[in-house]
Amino acid sequence: MCPDGDACVARGGGSEPERGPRGASLAVGVSAPLTMFRYQSLEDCPPDEDEDAFQTLGEEDEDIDQFNDDTFGAGAIDDDWQEAHERLAELEDKPATARELEDGTVSDEMDLLGHHEENLAERLSKLVIDNELEDPAIMQAVQTQPSMLQPGGLNSSIWDGSAVLRRIRGPLLTQEMPAVSVLEYALPQKPSQTQEDERDLSERALPRRSSSPVIGSPPVRAVPIGTPPKQGAMANFNQQILCPKPVHIRAPMQQRYPAPYGERMSPNQLCNVPNSSLLGHPFPPSVTPVFTHLQRAQLLGGAQAGRMSPSQFARVSGLVGSPLASMNPKLLQGRVGQMVSPASGFRAFFGGPPPSAPTPSQQQHPPCPGSHLQNLRPHSQMFRPDTTHLHPQHRRLLHQRQQQNRNQHRSLNGWGGDRGGHRTCHQEQLRKDPYANLMLQREKDWVSKIQMMQLQSTDPYLDDFYYQNYFQKLEKVSAAEEMHGDGPKKERTKLITPQVAKLEHAYKPVQFEGSLGKLTVSSVNNPRKMIDAVVTSRSEDDETTEKQVRDKRRQTLVTIEKTYSLLLDVEDYERRYLLSLEGQRPTLMEERKQKICDMYDNLRGKMPGQERLSDDHFVQIMCIRKGKRMVARILPFLSPEQATDILMATARNLPFLIKKDAQDEVLPCLLRPFSLVLYHLPSETVTSLLQQLANLPQSATVPAPANLHLAAVLQNKFGLSLLYLVLSRGEELQSSHDATELMQDNQWTELMFTATRELLRIPQAALAKPVSTPSNLLSLFSRYVDQQKLNVLETKLQLVQGIR
Amino acid sequence: VCPAGADLISLPEKHLVLLRDGRTLIGYLRSIDQFANLVLHQTVERIHVGKKYGDIPRGIFVVRGENVVLLGEIDLEKESDTPLQQVSIEEILEEQRVEQQAKQESEKLKVQALKERGLSIPRADTLDEY
Repeated sequence: MCPDGDACVARGGGSEPERGPRGASLAVGVSAPLTMFRYQSLEDCPPDEDEDAFQTLGEEDEDIDQFNDDTFGAGAIDDDWQEAHERLAELEDKPATARELEDGTVSDEMDLLGHHEENLAERLSKLVIDNELEDPAIMQAVQTQPSMLQPGGLNSSIWDGSAVLRRIRGPLLTQEMPAVSVLEYALPQKPSQTQEDERDLSERALPRRSSSPVIGSPPVRAVPIGTPPKQGAMANFNQQILCPKPVHIRAPMQQRYPAPYGERMSPNQLCNVPNSSLLGHPFPPSVTPVFTHLQRAQLLGGAQAGRMSPSQFARVSGLVGSPLASMNPKLLQGRVGQMVSPASGFRAFFGGPPPSAPTPSQQQHPPCPGSHLQNLRPHSQMFRPDTTHLHPQHRRLLHQRQQQNRNQHRSLNGWGGDRGGHRTCHQEQLRKDPYANLMLQREKDWVSKIQMMQLQSTDPYLDDFYYQNYFQKLEKVSAAEEMHGDGPKKERTKLITPQVAKLEHAYKPVQFEGSLGKLTVSSVNNPRKMIDAVVTSRSEDDETTEKQVRDKRRQTLVTIEKTYSLLLDVEDYERRYLLSLEGQRPTLMEERKQKICDMYDNLRGKMPGQERLSDDHFVQIMCIRKGKRMVARILPFLSPEQATDILMATARNLPFLIKKDAQDEVLPCLLRPFSLVLYHLPSETVTSLLQQLANLPQSATVPAPANLHLAAVLQNKFGLSLLYLVLSRGEELQSSHDATELMQDNQWTELMFTATRELLRIPQAALAKPVSTPSNLLSLFSRYVDQQKLNVLETKLQLVQGIR
Repeated sequence: VCPAGADLISLPEKHLVLLRDGRTLIGYLRSIDQFANLVLHQTVERIHVGKKYGDIPRGIFVVRGENVVLLGEIDLEKESDTPLQQVSIEEILEEQRVEQQAKQESEKLKVQALKERGLSIPRADTLDEY
């Protein structure tokens, strides 16, 4: 048929004669309907096959005739296609080995394709009916192609060869990208690819690594020797264009096994899309990335590069090694950007070939976003009608990405001093993260919604107490600052949680009409009773003393817990008061009062109707650490009488409490509330208090030789501190009123004597270290002891501040 | 307010995740769900010992939400001015080993001392400890 039939076949798609030419052409011509078409016509197959092929397409006769005519008959412009073909073939000649490998690939492909090829053929032939021959743009493109490809060392990798091949073959698939891309995906090229990878890699002496290539890999030669100097623009662009082969590795996988997050913008998906346009482009997109210094640094040095999968690495290496990286800037403009592996610094670039005449390379130097945009627009225009084949999520993703790019472009232009402002567009490109927006805004909103729902609360103070309190404190601080300072110092972002009104839901179990009896429908709100648990109280006789002790302790604990709840409620009343309405306030006050009384009763163990007999209950509470802390918190709420009572009880039982407190050492927490109480006490109370501390009976006048009670008190931090407080108060009272009752009170005087005596008696080593020593003690003691003893006391107790 | 979504905009922001077992991961948060399951990209495990730290690149992490203690965004500007000193991986692992050893020693002594006094602190095996 064609005089150069064999030659055509050889050049066009494969040099191995044994392969079916059709298959070869088809395989190669996946992206090259033009060539394939031609091949089909030119093959060594018998003519009737061709006819059949065409007929099976269901073409009209005229078309077939026209085809034939165009090809063989008068319409055929031999020169053109031959010339064009020659030119194209030149490219393939150079990577001779590549081609062979390519052929190998192709043959594999063919074998695997099988059925697909038929459809492919049909469709492709359908595609390239007229356009390619008449579209001036394409013709021009085809012509310019070879010239562009020539410069640059084409001792290229397989990648490039195949890329070139593919590109050349497929100039006009702009309208039929979907079909092509589907075909792309259908091609199971992976196995062959890997072979090529290896060969390619070995050629370049880049070791194949399963682990991250970053660490310890040999320096990557971005530009092979002999290639023209790399283009600055390319560096600026930082665009990396994958050779199609690596793309193809991914493409079939991606389509077959769509990611669970279908909308995830993996590099692969992105590759898929531009892939098609790539195919449709007359120019070889073989502008492989030139690794700029920065990129290389990122690749090699980035600690965060993570691991690249083998295929990714292969891709990278292929890219790196490609001599076409050095391609003429003109190529850039024709290129379609794609995403390279996700290692750091790879840019995704949607560069679309301008549908109109490919304006020369000057385009390549526009500001990065600009070019993005320019290239994007036609690209997206091309895309829109063609994305129907894509998975709907994929398509959406694409559009979103395009929009995002546009937005970014706009925002980039608009950003002045914002955080990105100072960066150059180059850096901006760097920062544009191909994996950003893996989650759609829709998904993010959805998660936010759920989180907000979880934060819904009818009573934030109950559900989120610490958060509320924290922010209240902060607000107070900032308000105070504002008053003092110039203005709000810092804006603290506060999460505004949804406020939900409390709704009372009376749950009604499901009832069915017309059914006999009740249906056994058990749910969360309507649980079924599974166990019949009956509380049986034990008989008193069986209990041992141990048990009794334990029970008593447990009862005390229960009391503490109950009282604590009351305490928390009472403490909360202030806030509630502020929030409540006017009418409700008296009620609240009443409640509060009642609760306080209850607390007190709990503390003292007073049963309703029972006279207070013993301190026992209180002491039990005070033996437990939590009880002590609770008492300290309750004290401010109690009335003076109640508080005094507590104080007395404490003082009365102090040695015991001290003993019990040995491990916890929590008693000092009581000092502060005690002192507050003390300073409101009248003198006689103080006296009695001191009496309690000294454990002297009211009427006793005969002092014991050694007051054990007091001694114990003195030896304890809390005790001593309390004593000091009491004494201090007494002194205060004394000094405040000249004709004070205290002075006249014999008891007080006696007590003072006792105290001082004890203080003098006790060895210094045994003396505890008080929390604080009131300053007026010295003057107090001076009233009751002579100078000598005073001096002793002074030194012993370190009453004078200067000594310390 | 968009607690989950605001960090997944086009300019990637690094996030720091603290896990229940004490590990600190730093990476780009790519995905999150209502359980706080996380997908971290280009993750680095950062080991802190004293004033030093070391980064081990780990790749992509998918973290089950229940193991997350906290997640925070790293202020890229502030990230650089830290008093901490970065060291190599080997060094930091060594430091960590030494630290763990010292901890174990002191723990052993403590348990011993308590045992002598007849007390015992229950081992918090089921609780999170680090």
